[in-house]
Amino acid sequence: MIEVDGLTLIYGRGGAAVPAVAGLSMVVDSYELVAVVGPSGCGKTTLLLALDGLLRPTAGQIRIHGEEVRGVRRDVALILQDAGLLPWKTVRQNAEFSLRIQGRKESAGGVLSDLGLAGFERRFPSDLSEGMKRRVGIARALALQPRVMLMDEPMANLDSLTRERTQDLILGLWWEMGFTGVLVTHDMEEAVFLGKRIFVLSARPARVVEVIENPGMGEPDYRGTPEFAAQVAHLRQVLGGNGP
Amino acid sequence: MKNTLRVVLYYILAMALVVLVWAGASWLLQAFRGREILPTPWVTLSAAGQNIAVLVSAFGTSALRFLIALVVAFLLGLPLGLAVGFESKLDRYLSPLIYLLYPMPPVALLLFLYLAFGLGEVVRLVVVVMALFFQVVVAAQGAAKYIVPSHVTAVRSAGATRRQIYRHVVLPATLPNVLTAARVSVGLGITMLYIAETKLGVLLGPGAGLGRFIEYYTFRGDISLAGVVGLALLGLLFYVILELLERVLCRWKFVGARGGT
Repeated sequence: MIEVDGLTLIYGRGGAAVPAVAGLSMVVDSYELVAVVGPSGCGKTTLLLALDGLLRPTAGQIRIHGEEVRGVRRDVALILQDAGLLPWKTVRQNAEFSLRIQGRKESAGGVLSDLGLAGFERRFPSDLSEGMKRRVGIARALALQPRVMLMDEPMANLDSLTRERTQDLILGLWWEMGFTGVLVTHDMEEAVFLGKRIFVLSARPARVVEVIENPGMGEPDYRGTPEFAAQVAHLRQVLGGNGP
Repeated sequence: MKNTLRVVLYYILAMALVVLVWAGASWLLQAFRGREILPTPWVTLSAAGQNIAVLVSAFGTSALRFLIALVVAFLLGLPLGLAVGFESKLDRYLSPLIYLLYPMPPVALLLFLYLAFGLGEVVRLVVVVMALFFQVVVAAQGAAKYIVPSHVTAVRSAGATRRQIYRHVVLPATLPNVLTAARVSVGLGITMLYIAETKLGVLLGPGAGLGRFIEYYTFRGDISLAGVVGLALLGLLFYVILELLERVLCRWKFVGARGGT
């Protein structure tokens, strides 16, 4: 379970101080996958970095499984927007990187082949397609067998077919591995497809303005249903209401 | 393999061209001034042959000296440059200092270097190290400033310590640029080596480095010129070493470029 209580994050000091998040509170239940949407530049990524323990809150508190987050936790994995692969490491080295940093000896071979990357272990990222790079980024997070997955627009800038396939992949992994997930996205259909609840944030400084219940989420063929279309339309209306 | 052969072939062609231009220049100078001014390649070659033992000893000494200076400059300059480029606080405080000292030629401080380090081997190394050191610092600093933030975030998110961030991100990300800069500064380094060996070796024999060799035979143009050729080959040697080092250490840089060059 993730509990965020009155979280405030301010960049810089004095006159140059920029509040990115102001008094944001939210709760994500265990094994729940939620989406976070909001106008661009509203502080979504900042929120995610704070959840990962990379940014210290200026005020407020974040608790994961009841413990206050004071730094990077081993049971929390972060998937970055452009996958954040290291170009000088091979696919396998990238996928096992987080494990090795934590001094763990496990192999990521199984995860890589589950994600259709078998045979590419010795390639460098520059040799891969964009969709494959994202899957290596996902593999790096999965290899840790995390209890919490934080995802910062993992499907951004992918072509629509690859994007839907990657969304299906994340949904399948959620069913299979049962992690608690927070997905930051600016894509409304993606938020409805992958968010059991959708947190709508305000323009910067971010706080939660609405939480949309999305009970239909969880089935791979949800996309084609009228209910899905209605949810997307509703989300569009909510976001339009607080647009930039 | 085929590529390597082609590169070697180009170098041979380039050398042939240099020899040709050189021969043409000596012939023209002789024709217009009526006496031998620039010894021809074959005269130089035969002078080199006659003094081969001394020449080889001079080449070896210079090469070793340059190698030591290069390694020392890297060991001192790389950590400093990376830290200054990567840590914005250090950047703010140390950058002005670096840029103030960077353009200052160490040769201008020769008198003080003599007094500080004496007239022995150390002072010759110090001159070359000083010249290369700032090149390495500035290159490393520049490269470390433009590290992709998501690479650092990815590594920090895994729980990496500062040391691990340097080892897994900062160093590999900057290595290609640093090695390129090192290759560029080989020319400057060789010039400094020459100055250090001529100015700081007056009492030594001709085997004490190529600079001293060239100086020692000032009045034997053909032998002296053989020393100059030696210097050129020394520069080429280090250029090739650094290029090979880049290909081995930065293999990832060369995979995407298949079929390119």
